Amino acid sequence: MRFRNRRTSERGNPRSNGEVISLTSLFEGERGVLTNAFGGFGLVRRLAEMGLTPGVEIKLVRKCPFRGPLQIEVRGSMLALGYGVASKVFVKPLKAESNG
Amino acid sequence: MAKQLRIALAGNANVGKSVIFNQLTGLNQIVGNWPGKTVERAEGTLHFKGHTIRIIDLPGIYSLSTFSMEEIVSRDYIAVEKPDIIINVVDASTLERNLYFTLQLLELEAPIIIDLNQVDFAAKKGVRIDVEKLSKTLGVPVNPTVAITGSGINELLSTVIAVMSGKRKLKPLKVKYGKEIEKRVQAIEKLVSAKLPQLCTVYPARWISIKLLERDTDVAGKLKNYESGKEVLDYAEKLAGELETIHGEPSPVIIASEKYGFATEIAKAVTIIEAPPKISLEQKLDALTTHKILGYPILVAVLASMFALIFAGGNLVSTGLDYVFGIFTTYTENILSSLLPEIAVSLIIKGILSGIIAGITIALPYIVPFYILLALLEDSGYLPRAAFLMDNLMHKIGLHGKAFIPLILGYGCSVPACIGCRIMETERERFLAAFVVVLIPCAARTVVILGLVGRFVGLQAALALYAFDLILVFILGRIAFKVLPGEPVGLIMEMPSYKKPSLRNITLKTWSRTRDFVFIAFPIIIAGSVVIEALSLSGLMNYVVEAASPLTSGWLGLPPAAGIPLIFGVLRKELTLILLSELIPLRTLSNIQMIVFTLVTMIYIPCLATIAACIREFGWKKAAAITVIDIALALFLGGIAYRLLSLVTST
Repeated sequence: MRFRNRRTSERGNPRSNGEVISLTSLFEGERGVLTNAFGGFGLVRRLAEMGLTPGVEIKLVRKCPFRGPLQIEVRGSMLALGYGVASKVFVKPLKAESNG
Repeated sequence: MAKQLRIALAGNANVGKSVIFNQLTGLNQIVGNWPGKTVERAEGTLHFKGHTIRIIDLPGIYSLSTFSMEEIVSRDYIAVEKPDIIINVVDASTLERNLYFTLQLLELEAPIIIDLNQVDFAAKKGVRIDVEKLSKTLGVPVNPTVAITGSGINELLSTVIAVMSGKRKLKPLKVKYGKEIEKRVQAIEKLVSAKLPQLCTVYPARWISIKLLERDTDVAGKLKNYESGKEVLDYAEKLAGELETIHGEPSPVIIASEKYGFATEIAKAVTIIEAPPKISLEQKLDALTTHKILGYPILVAVLASMFALIFAGGNLVSTGLDYVFGIFTTYTENILSSLLPEIAVSLIIKGILSGIIAGITIALPYIVPFYILLALLEDSGYLPRAAFLMDNLMHKIGLHGKAFIPLILGYGCSVPACIGCRIMETERERFLAAFVVVLIPCAARTVVILGLVGRFVGLQAALALYAFDLILVFILGRIAFKVLPGEPVGLIMEMPSYKKPSLRNITLKTWSRTRDFVFIAFPIIIAGSVVIEALSLSGLMNYVVEAASPLTSGWLGLPPAAGIPLIFGVLRKELTLILLSELIPLRTLSNIQMIVFTLVTMIYIPCLATIAACIREFGWKKAAAITVIDIALALFLGGIAYRLLSLVTST
């Protein structure tokens, strides 16, 4: 049930007008620019130290079903983020053309 | 000149730092703990061109802030102990992330040289690093290496010597921030140098200022020891607040962001892309092993074959060892009994000797192969993938994916599993993981499960016990997660690329871990063995058994004599089976009795060695809590199982 709901909500997400969405709503293979991270001081700081700072480009490599973890590519290396962590990171999706 | 040099290795995790350390020191290393901390400290010595060099391998970290104990240990060592040189091991294939750490070392004004490692792997990615340019930019020597093959290691050491003898001068880069941060850093620095001259002899004034602006709690705590500390702190807080108002982000994020920007700039300038990145075998392997569906059967297959290998091989070796030790024991007993009184012989043979044998027959056949395979999984980079796949499930018990690693260790032996809980970030997570991990049936408990229930009742019953154990772990983990105060920490983990493991590194890792195990476990096993033998020689054991009989026969429905093996099982769990078979013919036990006995053995306190490991990692109180909870739980569940199973079979 939950899974289906999430899919419909994803479809309902317009991507063209540069809306800010949660990292968990990116599609696999899609890129986005980090706008900000919400959460406790400790978490936000730790994310920043792992390279997740505002303005950085993130590629969502893989996400596991049922609110599983996400694998992202950031600053030339791979990171695994738990779903809870990833849902606090917000990005502005980039258009597919900029994939290079 | 034979001067002793002190060198520290520092760098991110997964950059091949421990491989470099092993290449440098070989077997001349001591692995222990940092004083008062449960952070591993590896130290070694080497001789190079007439110099004696002491090397400390600092923990692999991404930052010098205060998120984890590893970070505090590292920065205090660098700042306070002031090693002669710090070799910053940098992964050439993820330069940007690594340079972020390098910049922090430079801010700490530490004398560093760069070991640009895994240049071969970078080349595979189609990337070459301009070593000269990087060296010029950072103002320190940069030495390319391929740690796995040992190439470049000699040059690295020569560079160290050249720097030490003054032949090569370090002109380290000064990290300058943008105007808004820089202005504030300098303002705080002025105040810090004026008001806290003592603290400035340990830590650089500029570094203190940056950390204060970042609202670093550890540095703030240091300031509180000084009279004018509060004034400086208030000032820094005011400036940090200003910065946050301008940017709308927490100050550490603003500073990290700029520092990363700087790292990116340097990385871009020195990276030469020689070939377009193509999809390598490693990437294909990565895609397959973390695949959302295929990843799981692969994980199961990897783990299943690992354990099949360990238990099949272990059983063989263990049987052989038992035979050899059997002959050896009889032989020694014959000699000793002609020399010493009977009591002394018993104490030596059944106490000391059987303790040593107990240790060896579990360590050699099960622990060593387990460590070898573990090192293989670790060095190849598979473990982080397993952690990734299991993250979701581990969250259900309030832990995250990384906890899967000690959990797997638990199926081998609870001792390394307890120590393995260190990979969790906070004290709370470590304890929670340890609580769960000791309930996992280790190799010794597996021997009992398979040898008693599996053999006499049937394999299905044995598997049911395993399944029950997993459910129990899940339920208890969930309860502990709810009961323990504190917030759960989410998963943030680097996933290193797959790499070819090196035989030398695996051997050295296995060796140092086995040695660690021997040091923790053996003294405890031997001492415990002597105490229990003394108890039984003095006849006190009978009282204990008698006193426990309402519990063993009344509550658990076992023959009263079954109390003895359960007590001895504290030494090592598979002893329970051996002793039980000596005391009572196994076939006379009913199926229910076998299941209850095995269930109790499986759950009650992990052996003495595990308790020792828990004490070392978590202190007396928490170790005692784990022990008491496990005993109570085992007895409780054993009694319930006895009644339920009797009820089911009678109807």
